[in-house]
Amino acid sequence: MATWGMVIDLEKCTGCQACTLACGMENNRLPGENWQDVIFFTEGSYPSAQLKWFPRPCQHCENPSCMAVCPTGATFKTADGVVLVDWDKCIGCKYCMVACPYGVRFYTEEKPLVSPDMRKVHASKDEHSWNPPWKMPDAREDWKHGVGIQPHDVVSKCTFCYHRVSMAPPGTPDLDPQDPKLREFTPACVVTCPPGARLFGDLSNPESRVSRMIGDKRGVRLLDQLGNKPQVYYLTGDGGAVPSNRAIDKKA
Amino acid sequence: MNFIYPKTPGEAIAGTFRMFGENHVTANLWKLSVAVLAASLAYVFYMLSSEGHAAFNTSSDGVNWGSAIATYVFFALTSSGLTFIASLSTVFGFKQFYPVAKRCIWLAIVTLIAGFAVLALELGHPFRMLWAMPLGMQIRSAMFWMGVFYSIDLVLLFIKFYLLWREDWDSSLSRFVGASSFVAVVLASGMLGLVFGSLAMRPMWFGSATSLFFIISGALSGAAAIVVSVYLAYGFDTRNMPAPLRALKLSDQLPKVFATLIGIVLLFLLTRIWVGLWSNQDGMEGFVALLRAPWFHLEVWVCLALPFLMMLSPSMQVKPRWQVLASVLVLLGMFIERLQFIVAGQNVPMFKGTWMNAVTPYTPSLTEWALVAVGISSALALYALGDRLFNLSDAPKEQAGY
Ligand code: SF4
Ligand code: SF4
Repeated sequence: MATWGMVIDLEKCTGCQACTLACGMENNRLPGENWQDVIFFTEGSYPSAQLKWFPRPCQHCENPSCMAVCPTGATFKTADGVVLVDWDKCIGCKYCMVACPYGVRFYTEEKPLVSPDMRKVHASKDEHSWNPPWKMPDAREDWKHGVGIQPHDVVSKCTFCYHRVSMAPPGTPDLDPQDPKLREFTPACVVTCPPGARLFGDLSNPESRVSRMIGDKRGVRLLDQLGNKPQVYYLTGDGGAVPSNRAIDKKA
Repeated sequence: MNFIYPKTPGEAIAGTFRMFGENHVTANLWKLSVAVLAASLAYVFYMLSSEGHAAFNTSSDGVNWGSAIATYVFFALTSSGLTFIASLSTVFGFKQFYPVAKRCIWLAIVTLIAGFAVLALELGHPFRMLWAMPLGMQIRSAMFWMGVFYSIDLVLLFIKFYLLWREDWDSSLSRFVGASSFVAVVLASGMLGLVFGSLAMRPMWFGSATSLFFIISGALSGAAAIVVSVYLAYGFDTRNMPAPLRALKLSDQLPKVFATLIGIVLLFLLTRIWVGLWSNQDGMEGFVALLRAPWFHLEVWVCLALPFLMMLSPSMQVKPRWQVLASVLVLLGMFIERLQFIVAGQNVPMFKGTWMNAVTPYTPSLTEWALVAVGISSALALYALGDRLFNLSDAPKEQAGY
């Protein structure tokens, strides 16, 4: 069984946010509720201030604290290493959101992040929390794995595009979007990334490209001191470091 | 109050309705709190059905748990504290505390119910919880164990209250239930502390001290709640009280316990803020925000330090009016404490996106305040009901003073 993981090359990432958009389209995200976000921040002050950015999907941790705290088992880790939410079991207690060090989880019922509120514009008549005009085919929707348009009052997060990845032929070391045979199994953000800054593959296979890149270019993990052991690795090089703090503007 | 207490369920129901027409402190409290409860609950239901939980100001971008969770924690810990105070006589043999034991247990029941009610209105799927938590058996989750222990606690409280209602104060069964309930409540409040304390990624909460703090500050809010409610039951006039209760109220024992608890809580707060301001660790920035919040100063100076001095002063500590004032302030202080503890702990966002890289703001919405009102009014209404129906001043015959 594979252990799926992602490598993001910060030397190549241009901060274009195509990943964010592709994820939003693929997974029918509410505008503003970005499972895959690119965080922009400034470091330093005039005259040497720098604009920085940092792409951040769910880290699909090896030791996911979100799963450890979930009182119902709604958050779980699949055998191939993907952390998912079962929307039929989630009680909306939000403990997982509080316990995720990377802030990647979203609760359905909140003040809209952009106006007008798309949930009102495209109101749903069934249990779905909204009914967007663009959406994945119903057959792909899978609430047990947190895939699709979520119901009311549950928590959602990046699934590593589980509806795609889980269909990949067993034993595939890397899901390379350049390979037409594998493209449809590759996460949408990886497919779309224009400079090819994202790689996706099997971390348990030492021959996979992701494993070799992590080894060769000394991949690092975000907030590694917390012990969650992300399965998303960042290659830094000339792309700067991963942020080691969460609050950038300390004094606000 | 010298009520004629109902003996059958039918009489009790009739008595409940009759209270709307009666005129004494308990009945007035009942009428007022039922009115507030009806209004606030109606508003909360209206908002939840029209807006859903989007009527709350909590947000994925920062403060996920807001005033509703704080209210739940406030009530759950007050309930635990009341059970501790009841245990003084029922478990540890300090007989002078017998006159408040039954009232403590009833109050522990109603505060816990109020807390659960608020929690249920906060949860996305409260009914799903009823099967998903027992079936999930997530033994790694502190929240799972908190649910287990608080449920056991509630059942034991009901049994103990039933036994006291049957005037079974000291049988081996009664003592066993009392002792088990003490153990359950230590575990429950401690586990509630661990819900926050076990999260290394939230440094403002992290550590076993959180559990200890929850247990001790719970005892403090329980003590404050029982002082206020006893005076309330006797129309704030010690002359109406049975002799042993009056003796307890007018001695310096209760104030001493009270002052000690306030002192320990102040010490906890002081050391916490000291570490928080001194430390450069990522995630501690919330302490700076705390120091700038007027609420926090209200809590520390007015609601804790002032009552602490009042309860140390020999001339003030035994005077009912100062005891009541101190207790009301402490209860307010403990509510603020729960709110600021929970909110400040989440003030540092976790890679939340472009516009959320500072300390995140949060003020409860009107719906959330209404939910706080639901909690307070339901606790008061149920308390008044118990006072009218169950003779909460009862004590073992040699203690009862009549
Ligand atoms: S990044 Fe957060 S949500 Fe994703 S697996 Fe890790 S702890 Fe869970
Ligand atoms: S919100 Fe849902 S997934 Fe998250 S901890 Fe609660 S039950 Fe589990």
